[in-house]
Amino acid sequence: MAGLLLSSTEKVFIVHGVQEDFRSDGRSNIDYRPMELETDVVSHASGSARLRLANTDILVGIKTEIDTPKPDKPDMGKIEFLVDGSANATPEFEGRGGENLASSISNTMQRAYHSSQAFDLKQLCIVEGKQCWKLYVDILILECGGNWFDAVSLATKAALFNTRIPLVKALLMDGGNVDLQLSDDPYDFKFLDVGSAPLLVTLCKIGEKCVVDPSAEEESCSVISLIVGITGNSKSYCADKGASNITDVDIKCSTISMNGPGSLAPKTLKNAIHQGM
Amino acid sequence: MPLDFRRFNGPEDSVSYKIYTKDYLKTYDEQLKDLYDENGKRKDGRELNEARSMCMFFARTDMVSQAKGSAYVELRKTKVVCSVFDPREIPHQNEFRQLGQLYCEVKFAPFSCPRKRRPYVPDVEEKALSVALRQALEPAVCRHFFPNYQIDVLIYILEHDGSCLAAAINAAGLALANAAVPMFDIITSCSVAVIGNKMFIDPTEIEEHIAKNSTEVNHGIITMSVLSQLKQISDFTQIGSMDVECVTKVMEVLLKECEIIVPNIQRVLVVDVVKNFELKKHLEAETKKREEILKKKMDEWRSLLNGQ
Repeated sequence: MAGLLLSSTEKVFIVHGVQEDFRSDGRSNIDYRPMELETDVVSHASGSARLRLANTDILVGIKTEIDTPKPDKPDMGKIEFLVDGSANATPEFEGRGGENLASSISNTMQRAYHSSQAFDLKQLCIVEGKQCWKLYVDILILECGGNWFDAVSLATKAALFNTRIPLVKALLMDGGNVDLQLSDDPYDFKFLDVGSAPLLVTLCKIGEKCVVDPSAEEESCSVISLIVGITGNSKSYCADKGASNITDVDIKCSTISMNGPGSLAPKTLKNAIHQGM
Repeated sequence: MPLDFRRFNGPEDSVSYKIYTKDYLKTYDEQLKDLYDENGKRKDGRELNEARSMCMFFARTDMVSQAKGSAYVELRKTKVVCSVFDPREIPHQNEFRQLGQLYCEVKFAPFSCPRKRRPYVPDVEEKALSVALRQALEPAVCRHFFPNYQIDVLIYILEHDGSCLAAAINAAGLALANAAVPMFDIITSCSVAVIGNKMFIDPTEIEEHIAKNSTEVNHGIITMSVLSQLKQISDFTQIGSMDVECVTKVMEVLLKECEIIVPNIQRVLVVDVVKNFELKKHLEAETKKREEILKKKMDEWRSLLNGQ
């Protein structure tokens, strides 16, 4: 992607390096690039985060709105993802150019957060069947440096962690209509439980080996990459290690998808999934 | 939901009448029990590990006369039509691309889904299926044979009873072969719904719905498509939450299932080729007859002219 022109010699160099577990910036196949994460950067959003993963820059803002829950899921809130590739990132994103990439990222995120074990939508319920919170997660791609899926999922998890949901102080039931009164105090809110929110890990197949966190040059050398969404273990996010009321959950896959015009042998797929875990 | 501006939209807060039926108010456990009885047979009589491709599979090509290639696949109640058109220039294209492109579009008929009416405007689910279909077909098609062109693969789902993506990929593979698009291998696809410790191969819509919204430890749907001879997986999508052992187990099962479908597809293609050959012979015989008649007439006129 992104107007990179690599000569075939450079590609061969990268492929050979990966075979030896040595990448062009000195990392091994399973090392991540240094990342900077900052939360609460956007003052008007209920929650926000900005992630810099070497050259990739993602900004996530979360808005909360009150909505009626779906009739077949009366006690669950809603979460909706929108990915916007700004033309700042690369001239290809100008106008409707970035739509394909944006829709594939938001589809993957929607699938990853679909399961109740990944993100429990029940914590977004206000009045069962009548009112619930709806979270609009808006993801902005500011700069392209390879490896969007990982960066987007990391930034989203941080932004969700930072999201402040106002507390409901009073409820007036008026013959089917509900009148809410939210607390006026700006410090009166609750946080969401994002311990098990999924993180996406991209494994890029270069030559025979799989590489984690590919840079833009490495991405252009590979034909296929595998994206695994892994839900975390809530327990490891507790400050108090003695808490026993949160069940110990094994890490699980919440979504797996493939990206790129290639194909994998079954054994490679299995190894890659294990590596992602 | 983007509004459809071509027609007069009814009030937005209309809901399906089904949420008021007794079926709807069943708890999750009751719904789960409904899926299979004590013998382990599913609601439509299949075993847990029996795919519809064995007993209720129907496929044929040459469905759409206007398309270069087309296919119709029926998995019991799931019905899918696919048409493939000639390569054409890529619209809105500035740069030269070495490899041909595939433009895939999946559309649900508005009356196809049991739970609600599908809007006319393509929604998120249809776009996601289109992307998944493209992802699955790209490694199978020899794209270097039509550089800078695109081939349209258009899928229309007439009735949705589970395994839509799998049926769509099978139909698209057949239609591409019927359209004489050069391909590396036959592509087949299958899906599995996991609920707890039970695996439902080739799930129906109800099974899929329960699998997606289950709260058990392992739940979800996996769809996989395989290039059979090359033994490569061209697309693998999973939704839900399951641990690694479950995923690897399901992958083994799916590999086997996809292999089982291959003879069915091959049979359909062979029938197609045989039919084309016979048609060609028939046409040649007819042409010969007509030429005979014309020749006779020509000789008559010639003799007349010479006689004059």
